[in-house]
Amino acid sequence: MDFNEPMLLLSFWIGQISDLGLDLLWRFIHIIVSLCHTVFGIFEAIQSYAISLGLIRKYSSIDIDKLRCLAVVVDIEVARDVSKIVELLQWLTTIGVKQVGLFDSQGLLKKSKDMILEMVPGSMLLQETGEKETSPDRNGIAIEFISSSDNKEAVVKAANILLEKYLKSSHLENDEGENVFTESHLNEALRVVGENVHVPDLMLVYGPVRSHLGFPAWRLRYTEIVHMGSLEYMRYGSLLKAIHKFTGVRQNYGKGLMMIVQAQMVIESRASEITFCLFGL
Amino acid sequence: MPKHVAIILDGNRRWAKKEGLTIPEGHEAGGRRVLEMIMDFFSVGINTVSLFVFSTENWRRPEDEVNYLMDMFKFFSKTEIPFFQRNKIKISVIGNRLNIPTSLLEGIQEIEEATKNYEGKQIIMAVDYSGRFDILQACKSLAEKTKKGLIQVEDINEKLIENELMTKCSEFPNPDLLIRTSGEQRISNFFLWQSAYTELYFPTVQWPDFSKAEYFEALTWYQQRQRRFGRRV
Repeated sequence: MDFNEPMLLLSFWIGQISDLGLDLLWRFIHIIVSLCHTVFGIFEAIQSYAISLGLIRKYSSIDIDKLRCLAVVVDIEVARDVSKIVELLQWLTTIGVKQVGLFDSQGLLKKSKDMILEMVPGSMLLQETGEKETSPDRNGIAIEFISSSDNKEAVVKAANILLEKYLKSSHLENDEGENVFTESHLNEALRVVGENVHVPDLMLVYGPVRSHLGFPAWRLRYTEIVHMGSLEYMRYGSLLKAIHKFTGVRQNYGKGLMMIVQAQMVIESRASEITFCLFGL
Repeated sequence: MPKHVAIILDGNRRWAKKEGLTIPEGHEAGGRRVLEMIMDFFSVGINTVSLFVFSTENWRRPEDEVNYLMDMFKFFSKTEIPFFQRNKIKISVIGNRLNIPTSLLEGIQEIEEATKNYEGKQIIMAVDYSGRFDILQACKSLAEKTKKGLIQVEDINEKLIENELMTKCSEFPNPDLLIRTSGEQRISNFFLWQSAYTELYFPTVQWPDFSKAEYFEALTWYQQRQRRFGRRV
């Protein structure tokens, strides 16, 4: 019996030491990952300045027609700085973007929309253009102001419309209620409650969080999502690069094989390459 | 650590092309990778792992590829039951079951039944899943409850819809972290409603090459994020 006590003590200390070892290993991994991200960030910043100065030729021309609808998601901490939003919209106008949806979860940008529209030359509310698709002939940028109330709350209202339709129709003998819950019906119901159902091609997220922050879920199906970092330190070169990269992307929307040619600059110690890719999802 | 990690297993075909293999061999490698990674998924205290294995849009792929995938899922669902039972992992399959072959449906029911009582570790396999379909079926489910008089129309709110989504099978229905391999930066109709505040991580590695190192890098990256769920700091 006496033999058990030292064994228990030994196993306790082995456990403590291995826990400490694992903790140190995990912290070491954190340091390595942080260093890699720091180096990556420095590289990105240098590249961005080079793009802004026009030193990298491939970014000087962008096929902007491929970007029909852009979404910009802004963290609420920075949504209060309207000047930065205005600057970003001016850059987008310069690049040739025709339609942008501006989102922050609390609707702060919605409250400042008059000021923003006044300060961005040639801008207008998307609703006032009366167009669902961008028109290449239209000058200026059409802006849609979006908040969380356009996300889940809107779906709830639209769901109520479908529900009323279902309850009404299920009293009929042919029981048409079963066909009410389709994507096209919900799209229509969302339009009735005043929501735009157009899917953004590209979403730029400004803020510390790499998340879409509650952007209307129904509209996010195939949207390319790019995290741009802090709005306070936004760079024109990074914006140009993100849009340029998007125009080089081909989606097959989960369908059959499609050959694409994609020019790709791979950072993290690989040389630039051109590959033929077969897309998955 | 996140409680729920969602993974879009993208890149099997590109991996096969790079390795000089056929597409079925790419999918087989992807399936093996899932099995190899399962214990790593839960090794750091994560409760739920969701795997997007087949989307509604994938039905439009070539018929032989789709048939191969269905056969692979069927094989997996029958042969791996002892493994999941040994490791007390609950398996839940979400998606639209109407188009799934009967033989695979039987396998799904079998594996779900065999593991339904386990807690603490859960894998959610999304087969023929679409985020939009999930929202619609939640609305339809509420409509049927309203018709039966269980709830009133005016009671319907976000919470009720969330409670009807297919992820209700999990104690943690909203993923904290979503990983999509192969470098594509979109969520492709996966967990649209549930991912409002999910951290999105897009590594460039193809799924069959996604190893423990990449997984821990994703978790490390997640730990460095500052999550505020839309609130002010």
